[in-house]
Amino acid sequence: MSKILYGLYDMMNIAAFRLNQDDQFELITLSPTWLKHFTPVGTNKGSIVHLDGIFPFLDCFVAEAFEVWEAQTETPHRSGPWVDFTPEGEEFPLEATAVCIDGECVLVIQDLGEEYYTEASRLQTFRDQALEKERLEIAITEQTQQIRRREEEIAMTLLAASGHRDHETAEHVRRIGLYAEALAKELGWDLEKAADLRIAAAMHDIGKIGIPDSILLKPGKLTQEEFEIMKGHPAIGADMLNKTRIPLLNMAAQVSLCHHERWDGTGYPKGLKGEEIPIEARITTIVDVYDALVHKRVYKKASSEQAALKLMAQMVGKHFDPALFQLFVKNLPKMQRIRQAYSEPTRRTTISA
Amino acid sequence: MSDVNNKVNAVLQKKICMLGAFSVGKSSLVTRYVESIFGDKYHTTVGVKISKKELTVEEQEVKLIIWDLAGQDDLTRLRTSYLRGTSGYILVCDGTRPFSLKVALNMHKEAREYSGDISFVLIINKFDLQSSTDWELDQEQLSALEASGIEVLYTSAKTGDGVDEVFQKLTKKMLQEHNVLENT
Ligand SMILES: Nc1nc2c(ncn2[C@@H]2O[C@H](COP(=O)(O)OP(=O)(O)OP(=O)(O)O)[C@@H](O)[C@H]2O)c(=O)[nH]1
Ligand SMILES: [Fe+2]
Ligand SMILES: [Fe+2]
Ligand SMILES: [Mg+2]
Repeated sequence: MSKILYGLYDMMNIAAFRLNQDDQFELITLSPTWLKHFTPVGTNKGSIVHLDGIFPFLDCFVAEAFEVWEAQTETPHRSGPWVDFTPEGEEFPLEATAVCIDGECVLVIQDLGEEYYTEASRLQTFRDQALEKERLEIAITEQTQQIRRREEEIAMTLLAASGHRDHETAEHVRRIGLYAEALAKELGWDLEKAADLRIAAAMHDIGKIGIPDSILLKPGKLTQEEFEIMKGHPAIGADMLNKTRIPLLNMAAQVSLCHHERWDGTGYPKGLKGEEIPIEARITTIVDVYDALVHKRVYKKASSEQAALKLMAQMVGKHFDPALFQLFVKNLPKMQRIRQAYSEPTRRTTISA
Repeated sequence: MSDVNNKVNAVLQKKICMLGAFSVGKSSLVTRYVESIFGDKYHTTVGVKISKKELTVEEQEVKLIIWDLAGQDDLTRLRTSYLRGTSGYILVCDGTRPFSLKVALNMHKEAREYSGDISFVLIINKFDLQSSTDWELDQEQLSALEASGIEVLYTSAKTGDGVDEVFQKLTKKMLQEHNVLENT
């Protein structure tokens, strides 16, 4: 190896080692001051140094170095920095480099000194900033969630005010929201939007507030005339909800307006068909029917889940979006879990008008 | 003394790695464990710091060589070659930062690809902040982890709670693995 190179090493506070025939490391430069803290007294140019005993870090890197030497690659392979401590506790940031020079296997160890501390303070600044950013993001998410909780509370209060005057219960309304949210998540919606649907779907029948009790609570079958009035509830709800520019309520307006539309175009109020019906409403329709079927109402007994599904399967393509229904069936276990978690109270008190 | 006893009594040396996002408390955990001290100020680790600690698990003396690695962030990725020769690793998350759990799981995946199915533990650090408003862990995600068979342990490098137990537990797992290897 050239004299010039040796001279350079000596000047640069670097320790270079040559791998000898016995796979031992021979120091081929003068011993830099920092190395003296780690090696036995008297170690100098020409000494054999047991590197792995001194620097445990090299246990790992020497294995990599052998790969470099065996491949005889000329490009130096660097270990990345590590910090080592002298027996007196002084800290040294070091880095090793494996390289082949003129067929010799050479391992260079360098005290990174200031270079290391400059890099460390750069990274420190970067990470302090990244932490701050993370904190802000968490705070924002929390605020958004809080706002949503309030919106949900307002929505539920509105629903309560509308009285559940018909046979729907508060639990029904809440479950519809949860089923719809679960399906939206399955569709890959972002969580925010899915949470919006949870509230919007729950409000689907809010327009019933505008239907007279004589019709809404009528025990028997509605006359044609009464039914026409009843069919006004989607639009009434939509009008109410569209008076604001709150996106959540606008979504609720869509759901309200279209939850009685049918896939084949035979629904009301507009007779929309297929994908003309907003997906939020298509989802709500399916879960609304499901929940109504499997629960007991004043006017009917609860169907078994099997019977309900059989009935619903017949409604696919006519009433329901086939693809969404498939997704619904695939996620039945989730729906069942929601049903269990929000089951009807055993004795229901009806508010009499 | 018989041959078998000799084998059991010799000090075993085991390398382990601390893995996780930046600032989750990897270095603090090591310092708490090895030196029983804790500092509030954040000094990020650049590169690798190696510490040693001896402990006894089920009458077996073990010398842990603990590799404290720089935390992962956008500028620093895990250099998997540091895992060479490691017998186990500790995945560290910060209970006040939900994102750190994702990072830990990604690193777990990377570590597995490199080292295979070796011993590890997943810990949620900064447990002293558990009842503060800063505690942010996604319970759903944790339950999913536990359901998938990953055991979750809680530590505080600040108070020292749970710290010794984590290293004990990992060492125990490594010894079991070690014994299986020895006996086959
Ligand atoms: N309250 C509390 N703070 C902790 C705990 N552990 C660590 N910290 C603090 O969290 C910050 C980061 O700790 P470090 O140990 O440097 O984290 P690290 O994972 O080594 O970070 P990098 O080296 O940058 O990857 C410091 O300010 C610590 O004081 C803990 O258990 N409780
Ligand atoms: Fe309706
Ligand atoms: Fe309904
Ligand atoms: Mg650190």
